[in-house]
Amino acid sequence: MADLRDEDVIAVQRGPKAGVARGTYRAFGETLRGLKTTLARVAEKPLTIQYPEEKTPVFPRFRGRHKLHKFEDSGLEKCVGCSLCAAACPADCIRVVAAENDPEDRVSAGERYAAVYEINMSRCIFCGYCEVACPFDAITMGHDYELSDLNRSDLIFTKEMLLAEPLERTPLRTEDE
Amino acid sequence: MPRPTEKTITFTIDGREVEAIEGAMLVDAARGGDIEIPVFCYEPKLGAPVGACRMCLVEIEGIPKLQTACSTPVRDGMVVNTGTERVKGAQQSVVEFLLVNHPLDCPVCDKGGECPLQDISFGWGRGNSRFIEPKRHFVKPLALSPLIAIDRERCILCYRGVRFSQEIAEDHQLVLLERGASTFVATFDGHPYVAPFSGNIVELCPVGALTSRAYRFRARPWDIEGSGSICSLCPAQCNVTFTVRDERVLRVLSRDHDGVDDGWLCDKGRFAYQATHSDERLTTPLVRDGEQLRPATWERALAVAAGISRHAGSAAALIGGETSNEEALLLSRLMRDGLDSYDIDSRSGGVLPLELLRSLANPALQATVPDLEFANTVLLLDADPVDDAPILDLRIRKGARRREMQVLVASGRPTALDARAAEAVRHAPGSGANIACALDAALSGDTQRSATLARDGGADPEAVVRLANLLREAGEDIVIVWGERLTDGPSGAAAAQALLRIADQLGLASRDGAGLLELSRGTNGRGLREVGALPNSAPGFGEPQREGRGWNEIATAAAAGQVTALWLLGSDPARDASNGEPWAKALASAGLVIAHASTLSPELGAHANVVFPAEAGAEREGTVTSPDGRIQRLRPAIGHGGQVMPTAAVIAAIADAVGFEPGFSTGSKATEAVAEAVGFYAGLTSDEIGGRGIRWQERDAASALPAGTAGETAAPPAAAASPNGSLRLGTYRSIWASPEVEISPALKFLSRSATVEISPEDAERIGIGNGQRVELGSNGSQLEAVAQLRSDVPEGSIFIESGLTSVGLSATEGELVEVTAK
Repeated sequence: MADLRDEDVIAVQRGPKAGVARGTYRAFGETLRGLKTTLARVAEKPLTIQYPEEKTPVFPRFRGRHKLHKFEDSGLEKCVGCSLCAAACPADCIRVVAAENDPEDRVSAGERYAAVYEINMSRCIFCGYCEVACPFDAITMGHDYELSDLNRSDLIFTKEMLLAEPLERTPLRTEDE
Repeated sequence: MPRPTEKTITFTIDGREVEAIEGAMLVDAARGGDIEIPVFCYEPKLGAPVGACRMCLVEIEGIPKLQTACSTPVRDGMVVNTGTERVKGAQQSVVEFLLVNHPLDCPVCDKGGECPLQDISFGWGRGNSRFIEPKRHFVKPLALSPLIAIDRERCILCYRGVRFSQEIAEDHQLVLLERGASTFVATFDGHPYVAPFSGNIVELCPVGALTSRAYRFRARPWDIEGSGSICSLCPAQCNVTFTVRDERVLRVLSRDHDGVDDGWLCDKGRFAYQATHSDERLTTPLVRDGEQLRPATWERALAVAAGISRHAGSAAALIGGETSNEEALLLSRLMRDGLDSYDIDSRSGGVLPLELLRSLANPALQATVPDLEFANTVLLLDADPVDDAPILDLRIRKGARRREMQVLVASGRPTALDARAAEAVRHAPGSGANIACALDAALSGDTQRSATLARDGGADPEAVVRLANLLREAGEDIVIVWGERLTDGPSGAAAAQALLRIADQLGLASRDGAGLLELSRGTNGRGLREVGALPNSAPGFGEPQREGRGWNEIATAAAAGQVTALWLLGSDPARDASNGEPWAKALASAGLVIAHASTLSPELGAHANVVFPAEAGAEREGTVTSPDGRIQRLRPAIGHGGQVMPTAAVIAAIADAVGFEPGFSTGSKATEAVAEAVGFYAGLTSDEIGGRGIRWQERDAASALPAGTAGETAAPPAAAASPNGSLRLGTYRSIWASPEVEISPALKFLSRSATVEISPEDAERIGIGNGQRVELGSNGSQLEAVAQLRSDVPEGSIFIESGLTSVGLSATEGELVEVTAK
């Protein structure tokens, strides 16, 4: 170990010692000031939400679990399997495999449809770029955020899961909330 | 013809002084200044520019109107502006016009993401359109052929596809029909556009109008990876990029290499990748269990194959054309050093003396593929490139069309290039040797001998003399393209000697742009010979330890019980040879038959004891050598499907089981072993070969090739049999006769059944019509086929297609067969 030389030592500069009055204020006054905040809350009702029985409402533009859409009139899927969402996805969590429509038994309106449409929810960062990229408004971000599961592979959502109406579990924030 | 000399000039583009080659089009010259001029119709590979799309308008000082940069050659001192308001306005207007009728259905279009129209609209367009009227509509999509879908709404009428059909493939099928806004691309009478090179128009199309039906909606550019390799389906060895998604090959694109393929692919190379993922492909080892071949574990299959150690001294190996240099060297080492067996062959036509093989491999005599384009004259000797190495057909057409190259043909079967030929000599099938000798005699002025030989070969003696005269006056650079079948049979040596003498008389060795080019039967025919997969040659054309039997002797020896084990490495002799019958016997009498195959032919199914699943093209690793000596690398694009194992690993495992240590099996170590074994490949590494390959003739080690002599003059070839009521049998193998075509869903419509081409005169004499079933008979063996009348087949000859499972005649090329109506 190298020698500690004088120039290596820096002496701490201390102020003068506190007097009696200042010492007393420190011991009681400051404590009381802190207690003021605590005691002020005693009268309040608790803010705890009894999750999962109760839920925090979300904003309308909250980005939760994705939804795939169908045309209301024809029942055909809006998605044509163009893969633009997969291209836009920064987390690389969307997989699309397209196929050709059978004119007799259409799945989507165009020539092609998504035979496989999968979103890996454990990778998704809910940025909403897929929604922005979609030329047919076929995919939107829903409000559902309760996506945890016991198994990673169960977090890969298939087309059927995304097309199905999610359980309305998440309340939406009202105007004045 | 000497290559054009290039003169450099200087011109100004956007205020920058740029050097360019004089006469280059502005679009290409601008690239030297790092300036991109947008184009749709311009494609230098298609020949002279047409200026159809007007996208490349630029301002040239001194010329009042805007000029198309694709069709304006650059001149010294030219001042060009590509960024002025006037040019920008013109570009924006052109994009707006092109999009007037374009449906903008990018989300469903297969071109989306790799579409020049998207890129150029984004880069040079105005971003919006003022066109609110309804667009033109067509029914879509239509099948232009079973391989190509056409969406006429998306077409921007750039002429690329039409120009390819008219000026490159010269099949003259695609045309533009109707006028104005109603114009569309189609065949004139609406028949499907089926041609050997049709797939190229998909790659040429700058929009999504022409798309591949096999790739339809399979993937987007961001879903896929490209993996460069070599197509191993024919000797042309075109450079390709496999498009891979999720460990599956989805598409094959050309990887433009001027020295090999000039940027084109044939449809077999482009679509036969489907065989890789076909359900009909073998992916597990099979072992014989009584009458049946049953799937077995690798352990069991290797144990059965290791039984070859009991056949040491009497085993034989037939090495198929697709085998890589490494696999061939490994197997021949095992056979020679481990199993004391010297019967190894890769040439199905017969054995050529080692001296002649060396002489033919002489680097000075070797023509390169680009020479086919720049030569003064190309002579096809018993070769038809469209079937033997399709892409070279396009190269010869290019030379003939753009440089007025003279094409001469001497062949048994009519070739696709006959119409282009200044002189086309027909000879009797299997008598190519006679014509080579006759041509040699005619060149040396011995017309008497020439006439005799020509007549013996069933050719017109005067035509041979005309051919010789044309060759003599042909200019300096002459390339002789000869098919491997020329040196088949007992007269092979005579044919090879005649070839060497012709080359000598024409002085081919002294000129860079002249020489010989052999089209071998197998993909790697040349490489297999060079690594010593021959009965009479060690690797590098060295003296063998001991000479073994050749291909056809192996059949006889196996039938006689002298050869007891047959190792068929990617070869199926009963299928590959037109005379399948002797092979069926040989396979039946052999005690052990080991095969590597991706499909089972009936003969293999009946006689093989163990069948190892063969690797598909995209799974392979190793090196192959092209007909002009370019060593190229096969690189794996995908992992092995099913239980398939690398062929080299299988051979190494069997070597291990029989107690032989070859010292290498797969990877770059194997390539190094090849470089060590073959003198003139010395020092070659995978890195040196790289992505573009390297011709060994251009390396210093080429001097290690043992010098050859012409050897003793071989006996003149025998006269062709006189038809005398019967017909002379000729064989050919079209590019579609292969197992890959049979099991690729997209190409199935092209797979061949046994057909026999017959002249209308003979057909009338025998009393058969086009499409009628006929029976061919020879020495008690029979074959059924469908007659196809072809007017340019010479009278007295018929041609049957080989390479089909159902062919089993005992006659060889040139022998007589009886044809009767069924």
